[in-house]
Amino acid sequence: MTTETIIRVLAALLAPPLIGALCFGLDRKITARFQGRIGPPVWQPFYDVAKLWRKEPMVLNRVKTLYVYLHLAFMMMVMVLLVLGEDMLMVLFAHAFSSIALILGAMSVRSPYSRLGAMRKIMQMLAYEPVLVLMVVGIALDNASFSASDIWVRPQPLLYSLPLVFLAFFVAALIKLDKSPFDVATSHHAHQELVKGVTLEFSGPYLALIEITHFYETFLVLAVMAFFWITEPAVGVGLAAAGFLGLIVVDNISARLTTRSMVKIMWTVPLMLTIINILWLYR
Amino acid sequence: MESVLVGLLIFGPILMGVLAWLAPGNRSRVLVVVLGAAGLSAVGVFTAWRGPFDFIPSTWLPWGPWAMFALEALEDVIITYIGYRLASQAIVVCGVVQFGLTLTEEYFRFQNPYLTQAPHFMVDPLSLILVLIITVIGSLIAVYALGYMERHAHHAPSSAGSNGRFFFFLMGFLGVMNWVVLTDNIQVFIICWEATTLCSFALIAHDGTGEALASAKRALLFTAFGGTANMAASAIGMAQFGTGDLTGLMAAGAMVPITLLCVGALTKSATLPFQSWLLGAMVAPTPVSALLHSATMVKAGTYLILRLAPSFTGTRLSDVLALCGAFTFALAAGLAIGQSNAKRVLAYSTISNLGLIVGCAGINTPLALAAALMILCFHAASKGLLFLCVGTIEQEIGSRDIEDMGGIRFRLPATTIITLVGMASMLIPPFGMLLSKWMAIEASIHSPLILMLVVAGSALTMVFWVKWMGRIQTVSYHPEERLEKLPPSMLTALVVLVLIVLACGLAAMPIHRTWFEPMVIQIYHGKLEAIRAAQSLVQLKAVSHLAIWPVLVLLGGAFLAWLGHRTFFKGRHERLPFLCGENVVAPDRFYSFYSLKDQPDSAWAASMYLTSVFSETKLTPWANLLALMILMSLFVMGGVTP
Repeated sequence: MTTETIIRVLAALLAPPLIGALCFGLDRKITARFQGRIGPPVWQPFYDVAKLWRKEPMVLNRVKTLYVYLHLAFMMMVMVLLVLGEDMLMVLFAHAFSSIALILGAMSVRSPYSRLGAMRKIMQMLAYEPVLVLMVVGIALDNASFSASDIWVRPQPLLYSLPLVFLAFFVAALIKLDKSPFDVATSHHAHQELVKGVTLEFSGPYLALIEITHFYETFLVLAVMAFFWITEPAVGVGLAAAGFLGLIVVDNISARLTTRSMVKIMWTVPLMLTIINILWLYR
Repeated sequence: MESVLVGLLIFGPILMGVLAWLAPGNRSRVLVVVLGAAGLSAVGVFTAWRGPFDFIPSTWLPWGPWAMFALEALEDVIITYIGYRLASQAIVVCGVVQFGLTLTEEYFRFQNPYLTQAPHFMVDPLSLILVLIITVIGSLIAVYALGYMERHAHHAPSSAGSNGRFFFFLMGFLGVMNWVVLTDNIQVFIICWEATTLCSFALIAHDGTGEALASAKRALLFTAFGGTANMAASAIGMAQFGTGDLTGLMAAGAMVPITLLCVGALTKSATLPFQSWLLGAMVAPTPVSALLHSATMVKAGTYLILRLAPSFTGTRLSDVLALCGAFTFALAAGLAIGQSNAKRVLAYSTISNLGLIVGCAGINTPLALAAALMILCFHAASKGLLFLCVGTIEQEIGSRDIEDMGGIRFRLPATTIITLVGMASMLIPPFGMLLSKWMAIEASIHSPLILMLVVAGSALTMVFWVKWMGRIQTVSYHPEERLEKLPPSMLTALVVLVLIVLACGLAAMPIHRTWFEPMVIQIYHGKLEAIRAAQSLVQLKAVSHLAIWPVLVLLGGAFLAWLGHRTFFKGRHERLPFLCGENVVAPDRFYSFYSLKDQPDSAWAASMYLTSVFSETKLTPWANLLALMILMSLFVMGGVTP
């Protein structure tokens, strides 16, 4: 392993949560402006995590905490595998297991609300997983390779060949980042009637770790959006910014759907869009 | 040397079975089974380590062909007799047709002196993999059954057979399974295939209740139907192609017999629409389920398809198998979501994985075959383990309903942790099942329809496993835990099997690189047209170079962090869950709260089963109809030729 690899791995582990936290802070600020509030400072997510970290840990049982570590570890694995240029489908699986770890943690305690949130999280995964897998397959078909390293050396932007997949990914990203109308498992807004859903029974430093994982996730979603036009990085970043703004707008203008209608919608419109787009690549 | 190994693998278990039946008491039976299991696994491992060989018995008696004829005819008569006793016309018809086919086979056989030569044993890497699975996992299941059946005998219905008889069929099953995978001669293959059918009938019917007999009857009907297809294949092979060997059929490209053999294999491996016998077989004692699902029976079907696969690359048979398998994979995973009976969930998961194996064999590229082999191996170990765990849990808590399994993490800590490892090995990296599913998706990208089905199936698989894992590890805070007491034979089998699962799971990628990759490259050597072979080989190489170290380092780090933190917890860090009301604080009321009028009320949330979509009554008829149509498409529009 060369020094360069080590530096890249370290960068992939350290930079994303910082950028993700900033984006999350921006999200809160913009949302507040939409709702006619001033909103917290952009640095608020950092303050939140720091404060949570200093709290005394409280647990319902000993098993649960393992899953918090696994939640973070799998998400870090996503970053490491990506910078190493590994297989994108494996990256996607690692990403899925990050969510699964959180679900298992929430289900390991005898708390009905936490369990309900976990069940809804499972439904969320059921809703978006096929779209994401097919997105990766679409990229692989277009690149003739599954490795993440080959995505950098494309002659033309990915968006040219996968426009419908980008739309489907946008909808999947709403679920991934727990945005309305799909914020069924947990939400950063206060209008959650299921208490706090899947994260209900996590507190203190453990909640801080979950927040950090969420920062990674925010970064990942934006990075994937940027990848759709990575041939010119500036355009890619612009695309990600536009996508992010879109997510926030949708979050603020839509009411939440039921779990079942979420799955139905995802398995019809976005999945069909993806399939049509992929069939077109088979020509 | 070879004759000794083959003899030990085939007749050793059968002899052990006879001894176990004749054993005067429980203790002597324990001795026979334990020694037999240890010896058999040792021979199996040694044979696999020694490598492939070809073996033709040097002494083949003049009456050898007649003995084979007599054996096959005897089995047909037994099947007909069972059908007559159980008043099942369909089984009787199967038995009579089989007898007719046996006579036809013999007619053609004695016309061709080449066909009456000594049966040939062909032990290639595929056979060795199967031998390893049968001997090691099968033996562990037999050891487990010692403790299980002793407890089972206490509450079994009076109609149940004796434990001695049970062990005869259990051990004998392993012997005939070994023979199935070692032989190249189709007639020997069919004799042993029917013998496995009869063994499974006897084991499923063990309890002798009406339900057990009905399930055994169904299993016999389905698998005897498949056996009939095999016999027809054998007769056609001898009549039209003048060959009595599997390799001969493959070399001749005899598509009609090969298709019939594949249909026979599909019934045995319980893909849709033949799944119902495997679900019914759940009434048998749990070691039987474990054996049917992991080491024997269903593996015979997938073995046959994997063996034949390279001979039908690019034909319509290949496409139909791919579609049929992928369809089974997706639908069975969906049906598993709607089940709360633990053994049925496991059964559907088996059907689903068998479907994926068949689907991969149908995709028929080196990468797909490597994926199929990975699933075959890792599924055998993990599913065997999970059935044994569920059997243990069922005996301890008296229920096999998943919703009743909350809290077993405290009551049965060792069993629960072993079960969780087993489940994780079905789903989570770096274990082999996940890697093989990943390879299966990458292998299926050249056909959009197969790809969609595999992707949908993977998402549905995740749902039912996660739901179940979440349920069994639900636990309140307990300052200290005490290990449960299990019979030594059950505990030994569980621990050894979980160690095997862990070791194979963590070494999945090296195992693939060392054995499976060279093996599939050799199998397909010169069999694929240049472009497709080149593409698939590039993919195979790319897959083999996956770096597993980030996975191991990060997961290991997470475990270490947790272990470090775990010691730090004390009672003062413990809290009660939020229940939207004041918690009742008492030692045994951990999740009750004060509800209306200050009355304690308990809070409970069941898992989702999505029965509005995934119920058996709604989905199964349509699924079976579609699967049947997919299979029938083999026989219309110009038949099976490419």
